[in-house]
Amino acid sequence: MEAIVQLEDVAKDYGQGDLTVHALRGVDLSIQKGDLAAVAGPSGSGKTTLLNVIGGLDTPSAGRVWVDGKEVTQMSRSKLSKLRLNRIGFVFQAYNLIPVLTAYENAEYVLMLQGMPAKERREKVMDLLKQVGLEGMDKRFPRELSGGQQQRVAIARAIAAQPALVLADEPTANVDSKTAAALLDLMVRLNEERQATFLFSTHDQNVMKRSKRLILLKDGMIDHNGKPENIEH
Amino acid sequence: MNTFRIGWRNIWRNGKRTWITVVAIALNTAILIVSYALMQGMMVDMVDNATRMVVGDAQVHAPGYRLDQSMYKCIKEPEKIVDAARKAGIQAAARSYGFGLISSGSKSAGGIFWGVDPAAEQKSFELSKHMLIGEYLSAEPGKNVVLGQKLAKSLHADVGSEIVAVVQAADGSLGNELFTVCGILKVAGEKIDRGGAIIHRADFEELFVSGGRVHEIALNAWGKLSAEEVAGVASVAAGDDEVKTWKQLMPLLFEMVKMFDVAIFIFGLVFFLAAGLGVMNTMLMATYERIREFGIQKAMGSTPWRIMKDVSIEAFVMAVFSTLIGAAIGVAAGLYFQEYGINLEAMARETITFSGIAFDPLWRATLSGKIVMLPVFVMWIICVVAALYPAGKAARLNPVRAMTHV
Ligand SMILES: Nc1ncnc2c1ncn2[C@@H]1O[C@H](COP(=O)(O)OP(=O)(O)OP(=O)(O)O)[C@@H](O)[C@H]1O
Ligand SMILES: [Mg+2]
Repeated sequence: MEAIVQLEDVAKDYGQGDLTVHALRGVDLSIQKGDLAAVAGPSGSGKTTLLNVIGGLDTPSAGRVWVDGKEVTQMSRSKLSKLRLNRIGFVFQAYNLIPVLTAYENAEYVLMLQGMPAKERREKVMDLLKQVGLEGMDKRFPRELSGGQQQRVAIARAIAAQPALVLADEPTANVDSKTAAALLDLMVRLNEERQATFLFSTHDQNVMKRSKRLILLKDGMIDHNGKPENIEH
Repeated sequence: MNTFRIGWRNIWRNGKRTWITVVAIALNTAILIVSYALMQGMMVDMVDNATRMVVGDAQVHAPGYRLDQSMYKCIKEPEKIVDAARKAGIQAAARSYGFGLISSGSKSAGGIFWGVDPAAEQKSFELSKHMLIGEYLSAEPGKNVVLGQKLAKSLHADVGSEIVAVVQAADGSLGNELFTVCGILKVAGEKIDRGGAIIHRADFEELFVSGGRVHEIALNAWGKLSAEEVAGVASVAAGDDEVKTWKQLMPLLFEMVKMFDVAIFIFGLVFFLAAGLGVMNTMLMATYERIREFGIQKAMGSTPWRIMKDVSIEAFVMAVFSTLIGAAIGVAAGLYFQEYGINLEAMARETITFSGIAFDPLWRATLSGKIVMLPVFVMWIICVVAALYPAGKAARLNPVRAMTHV
């Protein structure tokens, strides 16, 4: 299997001197193509920091990071933004969508940035909205959608450009458990049908259990990395 | 996805704030258009009054005549110039000048005799209609004279009075003649008021034995051609004789016209600055409220350039919308003042003169495409420039920090 993400002895410190917070310390990790991996751990354990470092949104204090075979830690800002545009999809916890854009326009956003012709975009986005279960809601604005529906739009947007990797930071944190389960169903399905690689963080036991792989973080270090069923709480 | 449409949606996210800005820009635009049109109206009126009264768009003289007004420095081929002008649709009036002494009863004063062709003057200039009392000269010579207002006063002359002209004729002899005052001019500028004695050119030739000498050809296109175009037509036929536009003949007036432009520019600057600050403030607040969104956009791979563009377009959309309203108000008010003007008669009973130029007491605006579009275009530029600072701030945001911003 091919590694989509590779981390080598990655550390991230915030602040200076006595006040330094070691958000990540010596993290070695690799995520394979087609994986559906969950990052879990107590609050403050470094989940968000890990995802940000992988996504090129934050630079590590030490160590090296590769995404899709390219070393992120060597890239200029504009290279990083190109990488995010073309190879990485993002889903955030909440307020993911741009409020003045309709569901359709939000899902279309990345494709538009990529410069895809409008007609092609249309076909693709309409199909995507159907796949995430939002058929007929393309003209709605985010405020006219439920939290779960908003996250579906965010997922559609994240996978629209067929990225090598989708990073999702607590995508189910702001929805009820039923909706969370449905969102996970969607990710599992997209992972199988479209071979989309997902790396998401979560607090939710039920969500963790359904991942193919679970990475447990504790104080910025990897505590466990393997099948979710091997973990007991 | 249309960036302009998105910009439009964005500006209405805070409707109240946007309306305040829109109204401010619209009012600034409207005020600029109206005041520009009024200034322009005053300027056009001033220039028209000055040129259409007697000077014209351009004049032809023999080289050096304007320096010493010598009777002997005359235009070589006046008919050729007049013909050329008339063919081009320009009215032309040939004039001869001579100095002399004018007496009426026991009073006497120095004056300048104008030998004119009354028919040509009537067609070419407004002076002939600018009578205080009496009438202008008739087409036929009849030893009549029209006097400037101050000259008539100092001679105690009235319509019907007889005056005696004593002059040095061109052949060296002493010319003298009796004239009847047929009319007195309204205030028309210092030179005419104090010394102007206008007579038929046939009478002039007899008085001065001038042998058909013409010293000046005044050309008036009545606004159909620019002063430079008129001068160009005359130059072709004028040969060695010099052709000058009103700008060269009345440099003081021309300086004033240019000063108006500077004044409106400074005036405009204040309004543009106010509008610009308003837009900058609005856009700063608007972008501050959306820091999270910009963070998400950047996380997804939006370039700083793209975000700059989006914010600038937003400001531009607001500018276009506001100036559209402003231009509508400005044009409506401008058209009103163009049609009805502002009546200054209440403020000044007499004809208003300014450095020898008579003014119309009805101050009208002059509206033109340029007068509307210039403030509008400049406002667009100002608004976009004012948005660049907030846009730059949004573009430089760190995505992680922007997304954790609450
Ligand atoms: N910008 C920052 N400046 C200083 N410290 C930070 C910053 N971001 C994160 N930290 C610290 O780094 C550590 C890891 O934070 P991180 O957000 O990655 O945790 P997390 O696992 O995502 O927590 P949660 O489950 O609450 O989202 C925390 O101790 C946090 O306080
Ligand atoms: Mg977190």
